[in-house]
Amino acid sequence: MIRSIAKVSALGLLAISILGAGGFNEQAEKDRKALIEYMQKKFSDPLKNRASQFPYSTDKELKENIKGGLKFEDFRLGSYAFNKSGKEQYDEIAEMPPYEDAVDEGEELYNKKFKNGKSFKECFPKPDIAGDYPMYDAKKGVVTLSSAINDCLKANGEKPWNMKKGKMAKLEAYFAYQSKEAGKKFNIKIDSKEAQEAYERGKKEYYSQRGYLKLSCASCHVQGAGKRVRAEYMSPLLGQVTHFPVYRLKWEDLGTLERRMVGCNKDQGENPHKANSKWMKELLYFMAYMSNGMPVDGPDIRK
Amino acid sequence: MQFAKSLLAGVVLCGMVAVSATASEADLVKKGEKIFNTKKLGNCLACHDANGKKINSPGSFGPKLQYLSAWPEKALYDKVYNPYTTNPISAMPPFGLNGWLDDEQIKAVVAYLKTIK
Ligand code: HEC
Ligand code: HEC
Repeated sequence: MIRSIAKVSALGLLAISILGAGGFNEQAEKDRKALIEYMQKKFSDPLKNRASQFPYSTDKELKENIKGGLKFEDFRLGSYAFNKSGKEQYDEIAEMPPYEDAVDEGEELYNKKFKNGKSFKECFPKPDIAGDYPMYDAKKGVVTLSSAINDCLKANGEKPWNMKKGKMAKLEAYFAYQSKEAGKKFNIKIDSKEAQEAYERGKKEYYSQRGYLKLSCASCHVQGAGKRVRAEYMSPLLGQVTHFPVYRLKWEDLGTLERRMVGCNKDQGENPHKANSKWMKELLYFMAYMSNGMPVDGPDIRK
Repeated sequence: MQFAKSLLAGVVLCGMVAVSATASEADLVKKGEKIFNTKKLGNCLACHDANGKKINSPGSFGPKLQYLSAWPEKALYDKVYNPYTTNPISAMPPFGLNGWLDDEQIKAVVAYLKTIK
C-alpha cells in the first residue's frame, strides 16, 4: 500500500516536472517543429515546389543542382545539404581540413594553467559542451559559449578574449570537436519565464526587417533558403549554428558564429552588432534552439 | 532659297538635338547599368538577372527582369523607390524610401530598366 502510494506520488512528481519544463519551452517546441516541417516540405521536391518556394530559379538549376528529399539531420550541412556543386567543392576541401591544427591548439588552451594555477577545467569540467550553449542564467541573462569562456577568464584574473577569432575560435573548435566525437546533440534549454522571454525576443529579431535594405534574417534564411544572392545559396535557419566555428575561405581563417554574423548584418545594410551584446546573445539563443536535436557538427568549412 | 536654308538649319538643329538627346540618354542608361551592377550602389544583380543583358552571376532571390521596356517609367520608378506600394510583402528593399539611392540615381536605373526587353 505504502509502496504504491510512493509510486503514484513519484509518478505525479515526474509528471509535474515534465509539465513544468514543457511549459516554458512549449511555444519554442511548436516553432521548432513547424520549422522542421517547413524546411522538409520545401526541399522535398524542389522542382515540384517551384511555384511556392523557388519561383525565380531556373528549371535546369532545380533539376540539376538542388537536391530534394532532405531529412532533418541533413540540414546540419547548411547550404551544402541541397547545393550539389557546392557540396562537391566542400568535400574536396574537407579531405584536408584546414582547421585541424586549431583543434589541437584549442586543446592546449583548455589544459593550460592560468596565472593563478587553475585552468578552464575548473569552469568547464568536460569539453563536450558545444551543444549546451547558449543557456539562460538568472543573473546574467543569455550566456553564449563565447561569453562563458570570457566569464571564466575574468573570474580567474585573466584578460577576456576577442569573441570572433583567434584563441576563442580555437578553444571553441576543440569543444565542438569533442562534442561531435562524443555524439552530442544540440540541447538548448528554456526552463524559466525569463528564459522564455529572452527566446521570444531573439525570435522577434530574427523575423524583423532591419537595416536600410529592410531585410529580415528570415527573408534570406527561411523564405529565402535555397535561393541565391548572386552565386551564393542561402542556408536554412534549421541547422544554421550546429557547425561553428568555421574556417572560411573568404577569411582564410577560423571564426566564431559571432564573427559570421557581422557579414549578414552588413548584408541587411545594418551596422554589425557587438558580439557580447544582449541582441546577439538572445538572437543566438533562438537560433540554437531551432537546431535542437541535431548533432554537433563543428568545426567546419565554409566559403 | 531662304526658306530652304532655314529648313535645312532646322533639320540640322533638330538632328543635333536628337543626337545630343540620345547621347545623354545613353549616358543615363550607362550610369543606371553601373548602379544595377555595383555592390555599393544598387546591387540589383544580387537578386536579379535581366533578359538580354550579360549579368555576372545574378541571384535568384528576385525574378529575372524582362519586358520592362513596356512598363511606364513611373511604375518602374515606384518599384525601385518603394516596392511596398504595389506589393506590401515584397522582399525587395525600398531603395528610394530608405535614402540609399537618390532621385537622380533612380532615374538612371529606370532608364537602364527601360532597355530590358
Ligand atoms: C541579403 C540576404 C541575407 C540576410 C538578410 C541575412 N543573411 Fe545570413 N547569409 C546570407 C548568405 C548569402 C550567406 C552565405 C551562404 C550560407 O547561407 O551559408 C549567409 C550565411 C549565414 C550564416 C552562416 C551559415 C553557415 O552555414 O555557415 C549564418 C549563421 C547566418 N547567415 C545568419 C543570419 C542572421 C542571424 C541574419 C539576420 C541578422 C542573416 N543571416 C541575414 C544572406 C543573408
Ligand atoms: C534583396 C533582393 C532584391 C534586390 C537587391 C533588388 N530586388 Fe528587385 N525584386 C526583388 C523581389 C523579391 C521582387 C519580386 C517581388 C516584387 O515585385 O516586389 C523584385 C521585383 C522587381 C521588379 C519587378 C519585376 C516584375 O517583373 O514584376 C523590378 C523592376 C525590380 N525588382 C528592379 C530592381 C532594381 C532596379 C534593383 C536595384 C536597384 C532591385 N530590383 C534590387 C528582390 C530584390
